[in-house]
Amino acid sequence: MATDETTQESRLGFAVGADHISFEVDEAIYPLEAVYGACYLFLDRCYVYLSRPRPSIVTVRLTAKESTSAAALDALAGEFGNELLSQATRLRLSQATARIREYYTAAALRAAASAPSIDDLLAELESEELLEDPLEIMVPWEAKHGGEAEAERKNDPDAENG
Amino acid sequence: MAERIAFDGSLYFPEAVEAAAAAYAEHAQIVVIPEGSAVIAVISDVVEHDPQLIQHAFCNHVLHETISRRRQAAVEEGG
Repeated sequence: MATDETTQESRLGFAVGADHISFEVDEAIYPLEAVYGACYLFLDRCYVYLSRPRPSIVTVRLTAKESTSAAALDALAGEFGNELLSQATRLRLSQATARIREYYTAAALRAAASAPSIDDLLAELESEELLEDPLEIMVPWEAKHGGEAEAERKNDPDAENG
Repeated sequence: MAERIAFDGSLYFPEAVEAAAAAYAEHAQIVVIPEGSAVIAVISDVVEHDPQLIQHAFCNHVLHETISRRRQAAVEEGG
């Protein structure tokens, strides 16, 4: 874009114009993906224009949407710089942990694929021999111990007399 | 008066410039011209709005389109 206005240097060393501020970003330090990430977050706050003055350098130009001061532009650029750093860090962390995330995702998918379905569980339940009762859980207490209790009562006259 | 805006090919997708030009067709006449590794958008006949406002908004739109397309391409590549 045309930049015929005079500029001055900001507190952070950026070039400040009447309504814009511009600075260079080195792609060796901040990958282009990080620059895009920061730009995306600033699109609703200001006008963003990128240019490439020389290889591996990107010039970011932020223009205020409303009239503003040089200090406010400087603060805007400072915030952009912070966001740029945050984006670059997130990007590097994401790249560094990509393998382990892929591993866990694959493991979770494998586990989900081998887990039995509801139909499998119902079929298994239906096929079980529910009438088998080796521990005699379904036998009433009286039927199980009634005879023994009667014999004990007969052998114990005290119990019979109350 | 026509304003020329250069979009570097290493930073902006030419399709993004085309898409933004189509989106702004009702606000201005925008001609997109490939020029080396860049794409030039010539903006003229701005209707109703401040020409500078349209130019800035157009640049934002091109950047938004580029970022969206890059992300979509990354998702498709990964999937």
